[in-house]
Amino acid sequence: MTLMMTIQAERAAEPERWTLPEARSLEAVNAIVVAPLLASSGWSWRAWWVGFGVSLVATLAFLLTIFLIFSRGIGIWGVNSTVVWGVAIADYVWWIGIGNAGTLISSMLLLMRQKWRASTNRFAEAMTLFAATIAGIFPIIHLGRPLYFYWLTPYPNTMHLWPQWRSALIWDFWAIVSYILFSILFWYVGLIPDFAALRDRARTKPPALIYGALALGWCGSSRQWQVYERLHLALACLGVPLVVSLHSVVGMDFAASLMPGWQETIFPPYFVVGAMYSGFAMVACLAALVRWGFRMHGLITTAHFDVMAKVMLAASIIMGLSYATEWFNAWYGGERADRSLVMFEFAGHYAPMFWALLLCNVVIPQAFWWAAVRRSVIAVFIIAVIINIGMWLERILIIWNTLSHDYMPSAWRVFFPTLWDWMITFGSLGPFALMFLVFVRLIPVVSMHETRKLVAEGNRP
Amino acid sequence: MDRRSALKLFMGGVAATLASCGRPPEEVVPYVQMPERETPGLPLRFASALPLAGYGRGVIVTSIEGRPIKIDGNPRHPASLGSTDVYGEATVLSLYDPDRSKAPYSDKRIQSWSAFEAALRPRLDRLRARQGEGLAILTGRITSPSLIAQLGTLKQSMPQSRWYRYEPIDDDAVRGGATQAFGRPATALPRFTDARVMLALDADPVGFGPEQIRSARQIVDARRAHAANDSLRIYSAEPDWSLTGALADHRVALRPELIGGVAIEVARAMGAALAPADLPDEAKEFVAAAAADLKARRGAALVLAGPRQPAVLHALCHWINAQLQAPVDFIAPVDALTEGHIESLQHFASDAHDRRVDTLLVIGANPVYDAPGALRLGDAVAAIPFTAHLGGYRDETAERCTWHLPLTHVLEGWSDIRSFDGTASVIQPLIRPLYDSRDPHQILTMLQGEASSSTLDVVRNQWRSAVGDEDLEDWWRQTLNDGVLANSASEKISLPPANLPKMAPPVAAAGFTLALSPDPSVFDGGMANNAWLQECPKPFTSQVWGNALHVAETDAHRLGLNDGDVVQLRRGEIILEAPVSVRKGQAAGVLSTTLGYGRKNAGSIGTGIGFDAYPIRDADSPWLVGEVNIAKSGRRQKLLRTQHFFELEGEASELQPRLTLADLAGGHFHFDRPGADPPTLYPAPQNDTYEWAMAVDTSACIGCNACVVACQAENNVPIVGPDEIAVGRDMHWLRIDHYVVDERPGFSPTPCMHCEHAPCEPVCPVAASIHDSEGLNLQVYNRCVGTRFCESNCPYKVRRFNFFGYADGQEYGNLGEDIGKAVFNPNVTVRSRGVMEKCTYCVQRISVARRTAEKQGRSIREAEVVTACQAACPTRAIEFGVLSDPSSRVNALRADPRSYSLLGKLGTRPRTTYLARLQNPNPDYGKAPS
Repeated sequence: MTLMMTIQAERAAEPERWTLPEARSLEAVNAIVVAPLLASSGWSWRAWWVGFGVSLVATLAFLLTIFLIFSRGIGIWGVNSTVVWGVAIADYVWWIGIGNAGTLISSMLLLMRQKWRASTNRFAEAMTLFAATIAGIFPIIHLGRPLYFYWLTPYPNTMHLWPQWRSALIWDFWAIVSYILFSILFWYVGLIPDFAALRDRARTKPPALIYGALALGWCGSSRQWQVYERLHLALACLGVPLVVSLHSVVGMDFAASLMPGWQETIFPPYFVVGAMYSGFAMVACLAALVRWGFRMHGLITTAHFDVMAKVMLAASIIMGLSYATEWFNAWYGGERADRSLVMFEFAGHYAPMFWALLLCNVVIPQAFWWAAVRRSVIAVFIIAVIINIGMWLERILIIWNTLSHDYMPSAWRVFFPTLWDWMITFGSLGPFALMFLVFVRLIPVVSMHETRKLVAEGNRP
Repeated sequence: MDRRSALKLFMGGVAATLASCGRPPEEVVPYVQMPERETPGLPLRFASALPLAGYGRGVIVTSIEGRPIKIDGNPRHPASLGSTDVYGEATVLSLYDPDRSKAPYSDKRIQSWSAFEAALRPRLDRLRARQGEGLAILTGRITSPSLIAQLGTLKQSMPQSRWYRYEPIDDDAVRGGATQAFGRPATALPRFTDARVMLALDADPVGFGPEQIRSARQIVDARRAHAANDSLRIYSAEPDWSLTGALADHRVALRPELIGGVAIEVARAMGAALAPADLPDEAKEFVAAAAADLKARRGAALVLAGPRQPAVLHALCHWINAQLQAPVDFIAPVDALTEGHIESLQHFASDAHDRRVDTLLVIGANPVYDAPGALRLGDAVAAIPFTAHLGGYRDETAERCTWHLPLTHVLEGWSDIRSFDGTASVIQPLIRPLYDSRDPHQILTMLQGEASSSTLDVVRNQWRSAVGDEDLEDWWRQTLNDGVLANSASEKISLPPANLPKMAPPVAAAGFTLALSPDPSVFDGGMANNAWLQECPKPFTSQVWGNALHVAETDAHRLGLNDGDVVQLRRGEIILEAPVSVRKGQAAGVLSTTLGYGRKNAGSIGTGIGFDAYPIRDADSPWLVGEVNIAKSGRRQKLLRTQHFFELEGEASELQPRLTLADLAGGHFHFDRPGADPPTLYPAPQNDTYEWAMAVDTSACIGCNACVVACQAENNVPIVGPDEIAVGRDMHWLRIDHYVVDERPGFSPTPCMHCEHAPCEPVCPVAASIHDSEGLNLQVYNRCVGTRFCESNCPYKVRRFNFFGYADGQEYGNLGEDIGKAVFNPNVTVRSRGVMEKCTYCVQRISVARRTAEKQGRSIREAEVVTACQAACPTRAIEFGVLSDPSSRVNALRADPRSYSLLGKLGTRPRTTYLARLQNPNPDYGKAPS
């Protein structure tokens, strides 16, 4: 009997872990989320404007670089005859990795009935969409003739030319396109009930009209909710394999080659975990910012950070194991090129970056073993930023190490980044931040209906 | 819409389309009457000859619609044997150089030829009155019979005039050595094919120069035999690295002074009564082995001294060769003047300083740049009241002269020339002069005050006297067709027995000695404005766009110098600043560098590239400059290289295996054999037509780069320029991989492997990299979108990417000017920005052969397709042919025990295979003589 009561108490406590008392009513949830969107007065936007200005400048730098790539050619980057791929590909993999986490959080956690996802999934999905969009730019501008990127599509043409389906880049193309389409759909479906709530709470005509149109006539009937839940779940079931396949394909861009350090069967799963890792780290960063910016301490609690830190910790261990597996296999395989590549990673031209990568991705996240670190928002934020830096280093080093040190010593060369390499890399943060800042002012940053559900479950006697 | 209005609209559209065709922006003139022999699209080939240091090399020039676009060797010519060198290949680019001088120039403005003639005429009248007193003509080495005859006529009419000649790549020591040994000048022509042991004392017969092609061909041919006693063994003692040193079976690095000691010890072993020389242990071992080997092969043993060494050493070598009954022929020198080059220039300088010259005519030379600094030739020239410079560029000498006159390019005018063995050729023009220029014959006619006769008549009249009137026409046509005058080689002469010179044992100098050599890329600097040569990676260092001061590893360690450190070289009052390149295998105490850089007025390509070593040269010892001090400047300068960015970790012996003749006989080696492929899941390729394949013999490759420039010329390979090289973006389709195994350098030309299982093909998303039915791996330029996945996945890294429009609007320097486009081969696409390119096995030549064969209803014959690299190779290291023909030469080479596939274990099944580098070391080397 006592046992039963304890279990029931824990069940009741489970939803309560994820909210603070001030947010534990349905109306409070709505009020907290809607305030930044509809309450034009009494809300300080100074930090927002500063952020907007900075990201606008970065966006312009990004656009300028793209303009130069079209007008002068990709020679403005540091790519050379041997290291023909550079930061554009690394940036692509990094962004697409970040683009993974939103869908993972939304669909995988939905399927696993992880209730805490409710307050993070909305901006995580938005993050996914924006990151995947930016990721989609890189494979295009990385081309020598970017204006012909559409030749990768099987469009009807008089020459009867078709893409070459054995190429991992074609798989990649379809993976990105289907993933972006899916992300938009999934995000929008999740937004429909919230658009309705916004429509209903709007005090002026224009928002009511716009949100009303976006809400597609949602009125919250039981029938609608039933269909909606089914659709959402079905999409989630589609989403999980898509996420896994997307990043496996990205891994196969490298694995389906002949190069030492790339041609490894571990690459697809290792890329999926890496993507989840960097994605969670980015979600943690954004969660901390949203929580601070919109005073959502009641909805995004330290418990959220705690659980995200645990996921990152697990991922960091898997990453460490993956690295070790690569080294072991290089040694065990006995191939001269593989072994010398590992030696080059540890002691070659990029060795400081490699050691920094191990520090960022494997060593520092071990701090998450301590609950105090996991529950400190600042600590999680800082470590998450470090993880994201580490993951970028990992991606660039996968390219630089292998291409600089492959089979042909006479052609070995080192990559030296130019100003424009950095402009495109840091510049790409600009449109991401810009889109995110616009998003938080137009669309509820936390899923109201799902949070309400969480609160309602907690309030149920 | 009804039918009528639809038709109306349609017609309106057609009318609008027609009306939009405007007149072409420029006037175009079609061939109304086709020139004789010209068929649009079909090349014509003409025999001619090109000079290098004054000696001719026979060539066959390909001309398409009146534009010469490619130089090939002339098989009938003894200095070409059908092959070329880098300089010959690059000549065609110089023709279209936008920086070429286009008009006479004086008083800081463009002038007309009549203005020059008006200025010259009164002066000539005065000179004639003084019998030419005060008239000086300064030229390079002249071997043209017509020009020599004209100079002779001038001398007759103005006996007091003087002709000085100076070639910066001189042979004064060679000439002096023969005079010391035989009492008369003579040129030695070694018969390398008859030699079985050769000792090179700082000599570089396979190195760069007018004799390179023939010497290299003979030496490599003599080494092809696989029996140890039948294969030429080379011993080389040298201060720095030469191509001969790289090829040698035994090499010792010695200070240049001590090279003479080696000769003395060898001579003592032959019984010469000379005082013993004190040599380091390493050299003693070398001398013992070499002397024993030479003595054992009497009649087939040969000792050569290099032109940098003093005359007395040459004399001693003549004596040793006489004792060895060495396979050497002698001819009278082809160079008509007996005076030494430096000596002649010294006479000119003193005459000029003493005001004995008031009219100077410099013809085709640039002494202000390339004279030894101590002669202060610039001041000497500037002090002369009337100076005229006839040259291809407004160069350093032109700047100091009162008149500059544009010189006709060798492909634009008539002349004749002799090769180093005396064989004469007629130089015939391939194109009318592009600019208002004159050739030396016309200038000499002008000096004679004769009515301007055509150069063709001058040359024909020269030979008319030799051939006779009635036979002239037939003879002339035959000679032009052959490119060589039959039986015109100099007669062999018999010489008195060689004297044993009294050579004192050398003393090793204390300080640094600077050893100079002609540059592998720009030779003496005259071709410095040629971008193909500037971007041609030098052997050993792969340096491009500049030279460096090579410092021995031990010295660099001691002085704390690293690659790229700029040092000050000081000798007396002369200071040079040079970037350092540290070099293993160079003798301690020796600094070495190449001439031909640091041009001040070369043109927009060559000006200011590298540093100029001419000023530090000494008139007494121009090649080996003693007592040089070296000091760090603290600055650094990036050395531009295309290879050698990494220390190797033992890969070299895997990628470029070496064998000795003993290994080969024993069979104790294992290679990735062509055909022995790892298993695959892919179906075997079905070939029902030609299967092209290439085999490269690394034993035969001397690293001369002729193939690299030939490929560039044939395939419109663009120049990227020094800035792009610094970023690591060379475009050469064919690169020479240089590896060092056990301190022995080796070269492997590396084109595309045309893998049967090409890793570049499955990764291309748009199928721009594809295989054709003949087994060629092709790149479809207009399909390429530039993902560069193919190059990422190429284990050989032989693909090249147009990061910028190197040939398409973003050319380096002035290479994009319209005239420069004339050099393009119209059969090869000029690639645009953003596309990948690579070696095609000269697919355009295969297509020509296929069309010809199909028209004649037969299949392509063996050796009918010759790739550009194969045609250029002086040593025939590259073989190309059909794999499906069991009797083809390339099949035989693939079956050779030395044959291996580069990285064959990857399963790429390359069609380009290699033959391992073979060496023939003395098995008794290092053992005490019994």
